[in-house]
Amino acid sequence: MNVTTNSGRLVRQVLTGEVWPPVADRHAYRVGPDGQPFVLPGMGGVTLGVHCGDPATGYACDHLEPGASVRHRDPGANMALQFLTCVGNPVRVESGPAAGEVGHVIGQHAYVLVDFPEPVLARMSTGDDVSVTACGQGLALADHPAIVVKNCAPELLASMPGGSRPDGTLAVHVAARVPPEAIGAGVGMISEYANTDLMGAYAGLGEDLSLGLEDLRIGDIVALADTDHRYGRAHRPGYLTVGVISTGQCMLFGHGPGPSTLLSGPADAFRLVDDPDANLARWLHAEPQDAR
Amino acid sequence: MSRPAAESHRLVSVNRPAPESHRLVSAGRPAESHRLVSVSLLGVVEHPALGESPYRIDIDGAPYVPAGDGGIVLGLRLGDSAFALSADHAAPGACLIHPDPAARHALTIYSCVGNQAQVRTGRAAGAIGAVIGKRGEEGRVIAAFRQADLARMRPSDQVSVRGCGQGLRPSGFPAQVTVLNLDPGLLPALPITAPAAGTGGTAGTGGTAGTGGTGGAAGAPGKVRVQVRAIIPGKLAGNGLGRPAVGWDLDLQLPPPGPGGGGDVLLGDLVAVTGIDARYNMGYRRGWVTIGVVVHGSSRLPGHGPGLTAILTAPERALDLHADDVHHVGLTEAMLKLQ
Repeated sequence: MNVTTNSGRLVRQVLTGEVWPPVADRHAYRVGPDGQPFVLPGMGGVTLGVHCGDPATGYACDHLEPGASVRHRDPGANMALQFLTCVGNPVRVESGPAAGEVGHVIGQHAYVLVDFPEPVLARMSTGDDVSVTACGQGLALADHPAIVVKNCAPELLASMPGGSRPDGTLAVHVAARVPPEAIGAGVGMISEYANTDLMGAYAGLGEDLSLGLEDLRIGDIVALADTDHRYGRAHRPGYLTVGVISTGQCMLFGHGPGPSTLLSGPADAFRLVDDPDANLARWLHAEPQDAR
Repeated sequence: MSRPAAESHRLVSVNRPAPESHRLVSAGRPAESHRLVSVSLLGVVEHPALGESPYRIDIDGAPYVPAGDGGIVLGLRLGDSAFALSADHAAPGACLIHPDPAARHALTIYSCVGNQAQVRTGRAAGAIGAVIGKRGEEGRVIAAFRQADLARMRPSDQVSVRGCGQGLRPSGFPAQVTVLNLDPGLLPALPITAPAAGTGGTAGTGGTAGTGGTGGAAGAPGKVRVQVRAIIPGKLAGNGLGRPAVGWDLDLQLPPPGPGGGGDVLLGDLVAVTGIDARYNMGYRRGWVTIGVVVHGSSRLPGHGPGLTAILTAPERALDLHADDVHHVGLTEAMLKLQ
């Protein structure tokens, strides 16, 4: 993105975490939109077969978290890991058969979500230690003071198309525009933690549940209309938020594919460019940079 | 839907029929409360809690100290504006919790609007109040008391709640209409009316919710008539989406009333939210509407606002829905015998 930033003044911190197991309780079932009981995988652990660029929905899955889901055992250190880690940050595997391999962060979902090439993921498991080189919180755009940047690695911003325009707006390429009716669980939470579930993307379920969002892909850059995520997550006419779809298919009602927040500000500070290829798969390094 | 009359009094409860003088709409159509059980729940009056930082951050990035969020709030009553105080999620009365997380969820989920709450310990022991709503996350029950009783209460006082209402299927209501979080004895006092006799159970298939008129008239054929303060689009729903309506309230991201803002809503008002199905988790479903009681005041926290405890959810076509921002009367202290 052709834009002036303060990236040279950001710090990089080395954080640690581990691949966290999926968790369940002995009652097993959760409840879908029509009262359907379901038991489906999705959150935690290592989820195989879905990567940036792949469809976000259409799986027998709930709260699909592509790749490795990472937390820290200490609650305070975990919050630091969740808050300070940004989309695009490199993650190095430190233990297990995949030690030395490097992937990249694609979002947060109360876990840090890390995409690795499929052969690497196949060698990973719960309990593997990882290191995150966290960088991005505090990133600011000198020529766009109304726009707040969060959860975004400077390298990711630099690799995205668009940028400052002569009229003072920031051009951002987006794969989809999301109506305010779609905003579900996650509204009211801080925007450095977890993500915003989008309703209206229950592939295969009732037409009365659809808001036309069934074609989202993991890694898509999307624009949320009438949404202010500068200091939390709120409905606000005249504001706009840009995020990246980091989680997928949900059966749990009021939940769905979720964007992690990247940019937010007054809608008139942006110039959206509809671009079906606006996806992390296109911009993030095919071989993620070495974190060592 | 109809059940043998012999079963209609098996409710082991303390349902207090509303005084005749406060029945707003055609009474004489008691809720079908057979076979519901009551459970005695123990609540403890909550102490407000904060983290190491005293500040929360508002939508424009301004830090503020969240006064009034939980615990006992004095001087705020049903009928006051949800925007009356410079406070955060202030509720009219005492918030009840339980020290065990699972028991706290049960206290929250089984407590229903209108349930009796009785103080067991402390200087206000014996005082009787009523549940007016609940809040989510870890779970809280909001109980209203007379102000004189509330002034003698303190955090850690024990309050017993006679939980009754989950599973209620009011007599004569169409099957598509789900009632939740509501004491059976309170329903006849609220501006919610079953279809006229002989038309129940066969909701019409056409038409949409109305937006005008006043309460009091019989419902349209086959439809449950509901009168509310306001009908609000679902895109204004905030915190609470994706959470179970039996355990959470739904915050409404409403602007303060006044020039450039919207109309006022009062604590205790019934409000309708369109496009929200609250039978299980609360979420978007085209053509549905959820009715709730306004149970706490506004908040500066992004995505938060006056909170609604859902009491009824249905397809719009099953309801005869009217908004009256002038004459509407929702849940009142008089209905709860708190005056």
